[in-house]
Amino acid sequence: MAGNPQRKWFENRTEAVYMRKEHTMRQKRAKVLLMVVLSLALALTGCAGRRQGESTESQITIGIPQDIEDSLDPHKAVAAGTEEVFFNMYEGLVKPDSDGNLNPAIASDYDVSDDKKTFTFILREGVKFHDGSTVTVEDVKYSIERCADPEASTLVAAFTNIESVNVLDETTIEIKLKEPNADFLASMDTAIIPASNDDPDKVAIGTGPYKFVSHSPQESFIMEKFEEYWGQGAHIERIILKVTANVDSIVMNLNGGAIDMFARLTATQVSQLSNDFEVLEGTMNLVQALYLNNAAEPFNDERVRQALCYAIDKQYILDMTSDGHGTPIGSSMFPAFGKYYMPELADYYTKDIEKAKALLTEAGYPDGFSFTVQVPSNYGPHIEAAQVIAEELKAINVKAEIELIEWETWVSEVYAGRKFEATVVGLDASTVTASAMLLRFNTDNSKNFINYNNPEYDAAYARAESSIDEAERTAAYKECQQILTETAANVYIQDMAEFVAINKKYAGYEFYPLYVQDYSKLYIVE
Amino acid sequence: MKKKKNLNLIIGGILAGAVLLLIIVGIFWLPYDPDAMNIDLKHAGSSWAHPFGCDNYGRDIFSRVMVGARTTLFVALGTVGIGAGAGILIGAFTGYFGGWFDEVMMRVIDALFAFPSILMALVVISLLGSGKYQVIIALGIAFVPSFARVVRSEYLKQREMDYVKNARIIGCGHLRTMFVHILPNILPVLIPTVMIGFNNAVLAEAGMSYLGIGVQPPDASLGRMLSEAQTFLFSQPLYALYPGLTIVILVLGFSLVADGWKER
Amino acid sequence: MKYVGKKIVTMCITLLLVSFLVFLCFSVIPGDPALSKLGTEATPEMVEALRKEMGLDRPFFVRYGDWLWSFVKGDMGKSYSYEIPVSELLVDKVPITVTMSVMSMLMIIGLAMPIGLYTTKHEGSIIDRIIYALNQVIMAIPAFFSGILITLLFGIILKLFMPGGYVSYTTSVAGFLGYMIFPSIAIALPKVAMTVKLLRSGLLGEKNKDYVRTAYSRGNNTTNVLYKHILKNAMLPIITFLGMTFTDIIAGSIVVEQVFGIPGIGRILLTSISNRDYPVVMAIIVCLAGAVIIINGLVDLVYQWVDPRIRLEEAS
Repeated sequence: MAGNPQRKWFENRTEAVYMRKEHTMRQKRAKVLLMVVLSLALALTGCAGRRQGESTESQITIGIPQDIEDSLDPHKAVAAGTEEVFFNMYEGLVKPDSDGNLNPAIASDYDVSDDKKTFTFILREGVKFHDGSTVTVEDVKYSIERCADPEASTLVAAFTNIESVNVLDETTIEIKLKEPNADFLASMDTAIIPASNDDPDKVAIGTGPYKFVSHSPQESFIMEKFEEYWGQGAHIERIILKVTANVDSIVMNLNGGAIDMFARLTATQVSQLSNDFEVLEGTMNLVQALYLNNAAEPFNDERVRQALCYAIDKQYILDMTSDGHGTPIGSSMFPAFGKYYMPELADYYTKDIEKAKALLTEAGYPDGFSFTVQVPSNYGPHIEAAQVIAEELKAINVKAEIELIEWETWVSEVYAGRKFEATVVGLDASTVTASAMLLRFNTDNSKNFINYNNPEYDAAYARAESSIDEAERTAAYKECQQILTETAANVYIQDMAEFVAINKKYAGYEFYPLYVQDYSKLYIVE
Repeated sequence: MKKKKNLNLIIGGILAGAVLLLIIVGIFWLPYDPDAMNIDLKHAGSSWAHPFGCDNYGRDIFSRVMVGARTTLFVALGTVGIGAGAGILIGAFTGYFGGWFDEVMMRVIDALFAFPSILMALVVISLLGSGKYQVIIALGIAFVPSFARVVRSEYLKQREMDYVKNARIIGCGHLRTMFVHILPNILPVLIPTVMIGFNNAVLAEAGMSYLGIGVQPPDASLGRMLSEAQTFLFSQPLYALYPGLTIVILVLGFSLVADGWKER
Repeated sequence: MKYVGKKIVTMCITLLLVSFLVFLCFSVIPGDPALSKLGTEATPEMVEALRKEMGLDRPFFVRYGDWLWSFVKGDMGKSYSYEIPVSELLVDKVPITVTMSVMSMLMIIGLAMPIGLYTTKHEGSIIDRIIYALNQVIMAIPAFFSGILITLLFGIILKLFMPGGYVSYTTSVAGFLGYMIFPSIAIALPKVAMTVKLLRSGLLGEKNKDYVRTAYSRGNNTTNVLYKHILKNAMLPIITFLGMTFTDIIAGSIVVEQVFGIPGIGRILLTSISNRDYPVVMAIIVCLAGAVIIINGLVDLVYQWVDPRIRLEEAS
């Protein structure tokens, strides 16, 4: 970038230079060289057009927005992008399906005691690891205890509640909890790995429908069909995940044929795809909102937060950024949660500038105020939403300054450090349990990054958590959501639309209510 | 020969002048609020009301180009200001005095020079947050080494000249000698260097915007608009053309002026 | 010999300074490697445990000293995110970026030399003027934009390559080289323009020197004078410029790798910075800076060797 002013410096040297040796360079030679370079270039170009690895086995090349920036150890993987891929390689005792149900996987059956403190699992017979060995109860015990060690970085948070893991016989294992927890089963999708694997960072051995082949950082991640899979095996033999880090080149790569499929596209990208692609619409399963720091001025005043809710038209954001696709929501829950989800909350605040202004005046800001919205710079849809929000807030004299920050800075400063005024992000659920979306708003919760402080909420949440009766729990969780909406904890916006583009040569893609990609369902259309 | 040299200056002047005029007009009058969104005008094509059409938020592209060019110019001037300012100071002192200070500074300059400038920018942005002023600081620092080296080598040459010795003999202080006597003499080298630096700053701003560490939305800058337009390259290729062309015209104008100046 | 010795010492000092600056930068910028690895689901205890494991709880100078000592011993540490040795991570990526740099360097030399000579010889001709104008325009296009234009032209319209269809050199060397031509063009193009400009003005500057007149008076024709006498005098600044271009090529490759989806050093560097994967960042920057410093040092030495009259202080 900054090389140019250099030039004069060399020119000064020229003057001091004498001719010294005979030095011949003929024009002809230069021409020949040029011809050689050019013809070489053209010759090589012919090869470049073809696709790599043209073998007879079936394969699909899928673009992924970021690399698997983790080791191969499933217990250490925390990045969402890693977990969604590992879903195909590793399995737990139970496994979620595309409807959000938990089905037995490595376990063939399980039993939960009435006090929700003892969970007993019967191992499925003859489940094989990718290295050919059979899954034993010892492997299960090893895997669970590995993730229950509070000193280890492989910790699964829910496992701190485990009192003991007991092998009852060769096919039965029992887990005893310290406190009752009705949602514990959802954490039992934790990967089971062989106790004999000395180096899980580098050697990937699981039980999933696909097994690991190779990983070239920032380039590709390749998996192959596991022939001895216990259940309905995969259809396509080879999955090549190709890192497509540059968002702007995704459409070009799809249309040009470099990749066959890409998940999580935006409406804009979809509109530019060629006819070779089938576009499926699902939802992202996350709560996109303008998250407000409830401890910071002026958002510590409920009226100010409500004023923002009245000033922001959710549907307008959807229309502006994604041609209307997506589901407006009003609280910390999205439609995939079924019975817990309350669609009516989306309309709790309807756009009303006068009311918003009145609330601001009441709160002592008749002339508005200004604040900073920090948005992670790698999430395009959130940046777009933030821009529309900033524009909408101008109507009530509130000036929102957008500041893009790196994701890592967001995690350490905004999320862990809680040093922010407002931020636009999407929060997702790690398990399909209501607590995954609601736990964080408890006053003392370590993940309560918005500093929400409401004893009423804490009480309602505690009631939900401790009740064993399903209907009672659901009612209490709904009350929690209602409180979040009424007190305008955040400005809830939407569960974003997710578009998956898949080349018409392939089919079988299924959406999950979790952040996973199930490649084993894909097949080739004959 | 004479005629051709003037041609550089004239064409360059016209091109750069056109963009500058656009910027100056933009300070006092804009066709539309560059940030105002309008859902009915999303991706609108060219019309009398919106000569360049509208972007994905229905914002008037012409107004945004006017404002964006202003931001870009501001960033480039700021960058060159910092780069040339600090570069001249460092170069003058090291070149004029030499000695251990020169040795130490040159090692630092070498170290900075061996650093990819994009990286320097990333570090500054991570430290200070992102925005117009941060971009200026980041690029400014990245530009210091090249200016410092040019100025230093000039001072090295000039300090041995008779007029410098004469100035010292008649009792001028070091500072006076350095900046009143020597500086004007290195202007013929310095001015084209500054102009090329300016061009590099414009291009660098675009590069930073492409990597997502440039000016903050909704602010417009030519680089940011260009990288935003990339998403719509297939459906609205003209969107990319306008900011792109403005950059090319601005940079082309200045480099022609620089060439013309050098050969004057 | 004394000069060479001093040169090597200053090169080492510069490199040390670079490593210290980078280390310092990354200990002050926000973002915690442990937190960034564990993400939003982490408990403070887990983060603390990982920080300890990574050795981040130790004081700054201890960490730097430790890093420096291992680096000198040839151990670049282990990547935080991939949990594999940095050397193992980089060894696959270096050939990619080196190939791209070498290819663009060849293009710069292969194209700029003949064009520069031609325009000098035919100074003032129509072609000279067209090339001059073309040069100016090429230099005015931002690097990523010319990358996109090249993708559009060669990839979408002419279908000479598949955009984003990067072929690994382990799969097919020919396919790899074929794909790398296009990003190399994107890097080389503005540099070719600059080199042509520099060469032309250098050659023209020599034209009125005494030795050229002497050569003419001995009955040489223009071509002879140009190739036999002027070129070698004008070559030295070009060589220096090309040495410097190396830095620019590396900086440029970061952007171009992004445009063409190439998993080279630039991509690894960018993602490692944003993941706060310091061992990787340190290794890459120190090696890049080392390469830049060594090449510039060599250029200076060549210079010194060719013309011993260049004094030490001017050559630094």
